Amino acid sequence: MTTKSQPKIRAKTESGRWQLRSGFVPLYVPFLFLIPALILLISFRYIPAVSAIFHSFTYWNIPEPGEFIGLQNYQALFDDPIFIKSLGNILKYMVGRTALVLVMAFVGAELVYNLSSARWRNIWRMVFTIPMVIPITVNLLVWQQVYAGRQGMLNEFLTGIGAMARPYPWLGRPDTALPALIFIGFPAVAGFGFLIILAALQNLSSEVNDAALIDGCSRLRRVFAIDLPAIRGPLALILILSLNQGMQEFAPMLVMTQGGPINTTMSPAYYLYIQGFTYGKHGYASAIGTVLMLMTLALSIFILRMRYRRAYDVAV
Amino acid sequence: MSRSSAWRRDWPLMLALLTLAIITYVPFVFTVINSFKINAQFFQEFWLPTLPLHPENYVRAWPAMGRAIFNSFTYSIPTLVLTLVFSGLAGYAFARYRFPGRNILFVAILALIMIPGILLVIPMFSVIIALDWGDTLQGVVLPWVSVEIVFGTFLMRTFFETLPQEYFEAARLDGANEFTLLTRIAVPLALPAFSTLAILDLLFSWNDIIWPLVAIFDSGRLPVSIGVLSFAGQYGTDYGVTFASYVIASLPLIIIFAFTSRRFMDGLSGGLSI
Repeated sequence: MTTKSQPKIRAKTESGRWQLRSGFVPLYVPFLFLIPALILLISFRYIPAVSAIFHSFTYWNIPEPGEFIGLQNYQALFDDPIFIKSLGNILKYMVGRTALVLVMAFVGAELVYNLSSARWRNIWRMVFTIPMVIPITVNLLVWQQVYAGRQGMLNEFLTGIGAMARPYPWLGRPDTALPALIFIGFPAVAGFGFLIILAALQNLSSEVNDAALIDGCSRLRRVFAIDLPAIRGPLALILILSLNQGMQEFAPMLVMTQGGPINTTMSPAYYLYIQGFTYGKHGYASAIGTVLMLMTLALSIFILRMRYRRAYDVAV
Repeated sequence: MSRSSAWRRDWPLMLALLTLAIITYVPFVFTVINSFKINAQFFQEFWLPTLPLHPENYVRAWPAMGRAIFNSFTYSIPTLVLTLVFSGLAGYAFARYRFPGRNILFVAILALIMIPGILLVIPMFSVIIALDWGDTLQGVVLPWVSVEIVFGTFLMRTFFETLPQEYFEAARLDGANEFTLLTRIAVPLALPAFSTLAILDLLFSWNDIIWPLVAIFDSGRLPVSIGVLSFAGQYGTDYGVTFASYVIASLPLIIIFAFTSRRFMDGLSGGLSI
């Protein structure tokens, strides 16, 4: 806004009141607005976060108070073969799932974006939004039925077309259980990623596209040369969200495999849940959570640094 | 471009989209079809509908699922209201006022996004036990609100900052106080942002399983996200009834979506970036 005569940010004035963008209010007003949120955040986010890190150094069985044992939980943790295995599992799951979701969301969004009819664009957008409102638990249970050894959809289909001689328990074998979890919801177009990428594509300037077409750029080449670089911001957002979510994945293991067979689908978050709420080892579980938090932090910082490595990117 | 030439250009895309859509929907259509069968029919014909239909599967699934849906609403609606009010107030304070500690406070709130929810479940469980809040409404709702207001505050601040300053100046000249500025000017203009937040919040609270699993002990109070799981555990061998419970569990959000689809999709895709 060019008409603004006052600077936006101003320090304390003589009257002892703090400046707004314009006019004055007593200092307590903004804090009054913030109090409800701050009370909740302090009681249910900040204090528990500190408490979790603190209790990771204790032997803790709620409701008993924790008993300080130094680094013993962490020592036990890195000698725990199940936990080590869960780290490898979650790495594979996270990378596989993110690759699938990111590629398919982009493919789906590009297909819809390139349609010439606005009506059909809206119809397809709707088609790939509806599955998002199906409860996650229901989705997982339905996919359990897809992979089931007996009366499973995948088996009935593959044996039906003659691709397989006999049914295979996809979730019950160590070699296929984790890939099966990765491919839940295949083709994985329907999701936030699809909607966000599509919205980003539709916000691109059509002049650039028209100019590219006139210059003889093919549609496929435009997808990689123009669209992909132009939507780096939303792609990085989906990448971060998807990797973070993958790192903390919990529900598919809980609902479909309980970490089995032989811990091939055990994830750190689900292991935390088992240690904390099945065995009551709350200190040990807090140590798992603290390690998980450090890994999440490292990952987010790494991605953000990659994203903002070059200065001219920042304004995008 | 004429209709037929558009079609000639688009048909490969349409075909690809149709294939993707069919693969996406087959498991759900299968579930609906087989929710009308008894086991004997299901073992005989796997994919296609068979007659007679057995709607009594729904009658058998309804008592447990109906209660779970009711429970979900009793948790989700207060969560939604509190999230909108608290995020709106906090976002407005950050967007409109300059006060000491403003930036530090905002960064401190945003940093919470980085903390895995599951890490906090254990200490929060100890709080719930200490306060004797197990099986209570506030024991479920307040922790959920605390999760949602982090993103909510960020979203509402971003939106309030885009509102033209002149509106507020004009109203203040007319004698409006700070509270009136918020309720009469900022909130009505921010309805699209509030509906985005409402949708995200509803999807979150409807789908969360970890916190209800920890904070609710009485199986009669479980929300639908866990209710459908324990129902499937009980009736797992009765395929028709189990599938009927999946359909019932999915209906509330599908109905809400049917009435708000435009706003829903716009809200979810609101040009997010980093």
